[in-house]
Amino acid sequence: MRRAVGEVFAARELTANLVRRDLKVRHRGSLLGMLWSLTTPVLVVCLYYVVFRYILRVAPAADVARPDGNDVPFAIYFFAGLTLWNLFSNSLLTGAGSVTGAGYLLRKVYFPRAILPLSAVLAALVTFVFEFVVLLMVSLAIVGPPSPHLLWVPVIVVQVAVLAYGFTLLLSAVTVFLRDVAHFIGVFMQFWFWGTPVIYSLQWIGNDHPGVVRVLKLNPLTGPVVSFRNVVLLNHAPNFKLLAYSAVWAVVMAVVGGWIFHRWQRLFSEIV
Amino acid sequence: MTDIALSCSGVWKSYRIYHHRSHSLKEKVLTRRNAYEVFWALKGIDLEVPAGTTLGIIGHNGSGKSTLLKTVARILSPNRGHVELKGTLSSLLELGIGFHPELTGRENVYLGGSLLGQSRRQVDTRYDEIVDFAGIEQFMDMPVKNYSSGMYARLAFAVAVSVDPDVLLIDEVLSVGDERFQIKCYERISEFRAQGKTIVLVSHSLDAIRALCGSAVWLENGEIREEGASAEVVGSYLREAHGAVERQLESSAHRLGSGQAEILDVAFLNAAGKEEATFRTGEPMTIRMRYRSAPEVNDASCGVAVYRADTGDYVFGQNSKAAGVDISLGGMGTIEFTLPDLPLLQGRYEVSLSLHDNNMTTIFDRFDRAHSFSVYHNPEMPIEAGSVHVASSWKTSTSPVGV
Repeated sequence: MRRAVGEVFAARELTANLVRRDLKVRHRGSLLGMLWSLTTPVLVVCLYYVVFRYILRVAPAADVARPDGNDVPFAIYFFAGLTLWNLFSNSLLTGAGSVTGAGYLLRKVYFPRAILPLSAVLAALVTFVFEFVVLLMVSLAIVGPPSPHLLWVPVIVVQVAVLAYGFTLLLSAVTVFLRDVAHFIGVFMQFWFWGTPVIYSLQWIGNDHPGVVRVLKLNPLTGPVVSFRNVVLLNHAPNFKLLAYSAVWAVVMAVVGGWIFHRWQRLFSEIV
Repeated sequence: MTDIALSCSGVWKSYRIYHHRSHSLKEKVLTRRNAYEVFWALKGIDLEVPAGTTLGIIGHNGSGKSTLLKTVARILSPNRGHVELKGTLSSLLELGIGFHPELTGRENVYLGGSLLGQSRRQVDTRYDEIVDFAGIEQFMDMPVKNYSSGMYARLAFAVAVSVDPDVLLIDEVLSVGDERFQIKCYERISEFRAQGKTIVLVSHSLDAIRALCGSAVWLENGEIREEGASAEVVGSYLREAHGAVERQLESSAHRLGSGQAEILDVAFLNAAGKEEATFRTGEPMTIRMRYRSAPEVNDASCGVAVYRADTGDYVFGQNSKAAGVDISLGGMGTIEFTLPDLPLLQGRYEVSLSLHDNNMTTIFDRFDRAHSFSVYHNPEMPIEAGSVHVASSWKTSTSPVGV
């Protein structure tokens, strides 16, 4: 297992090339090219802003109040959670099929197989960076300047990426033997989305249904999403308790996913 | 430290041949288990390849050559036994691995190179050479989907031969393509050998194995049938392959004749008078027929015709009578037809042979394109295209164009 980790590290140039390939191919032939990575989130934010201000008219939301008392429009509050959610969900949705999709390569050349799900996570990470830049600019323009708590962002993001990689290792290996996973995961991610406080705040449920809040806090993404909004939008410290709980999940999933992937990968080239 | 670059000890590899493989949950639940047969592709292979040597692997289709190569390349993992490897490894099992049609030539060179185990720096140092060989400098920033198939093949080939590992595994791949590829490939392999690197080569081209490999392994049904110096292993492989062809002939339908005389067997001989199935252009070749005839048959003649096996084109035909040679059979004997400098170029050729009377009215015995031999390029001769070698000379003269 330790050797396997070393091999993945040694193949970092190949991994980078695969990520680059995925990103380039996605934008090849389009007029704006990579600029779409910035344009899309800008347009999405504008859409949310109009929808939640003039149509759905959701009041400004906050898990905790900003020290300077500024309101956070719901569209921005939602978008912040969404960027982190997208990092996780894009990793799983593209990563689950990353091994089955590389069947031809698997049969023709050796490379550490674990870089296939890894490159899916890294591609999602690149997309996230673009969305994050848009988020920062919008937040600066509409809500106000950030605080030093912003420095927690890398910790939260790495934690979500590791969690996503663990799940992706597991799912991509299982998909090789059971193609149903590809169908299942699309629906499952919808459930998971609504089970994560992205489009709502845990405060909204408040004390009416303490049981529901308790269940939602079992979700390993709740801590990162809440903490991410705290440090980016609300100038507040992360929720350390939930974040630590999520970190345990990330480590366990990376080990379990990595172990199963490692055990099964010898069969990939024969079955895929 | 030993100087074994690559070793297999007791490597067994099986495949499950599924009659029906279920990939979905529904099928998995409904059909309790998948019916399959186990096929053992490798049965206890022990092999040691000393560093700096070149090993050839030969055998019929399905003998386990490719499985062995893929197992050594770590693409497949053995059921039992293990493979040990010292140093870096690149495996060339196919050209253009990982090439993406949407990416440019340049991007694909780096992607393909990294899949073959090359670092960015290694590709950097060889980049100019790759572009130079592919001869498509002005197209390197164009997506390869817009390439002609020839440009694509040249680029893929150039990337493949640019690899620089300690141990190199090569499958058939490099023998596809035109003469230029083969020569470049042989050059590169020679370069590799000069640098003291280790090569394992799987090829159907016995000539290539003999020329490039010091030692060879003959695989049959997943086991090592024979190993040793490449010339010897190829020799015994050919003897058996040849025997198989002869046995096949006895029931051949391509045979007709009155039976007054009978061709007993046919052999292709090299300069030393030894039986061969492969020849090089420009080397002597003799076709020897043994015959038996009724005692009263006199005044016979013998015809030889040579065809290309791939296209069926008639290359040439000769007759003993036309050459002014009288043959009187009467009993048993041999007839030899010799080409002192085989004029045929690379390819497989089929031979028709006949014994008939001098007026060509009665055919005693005739084999129609039932015997074949192969010709390989002779490295000492210039490259030519087509079927026959033709002696030629060139002369050029230039004169300045007056204004």
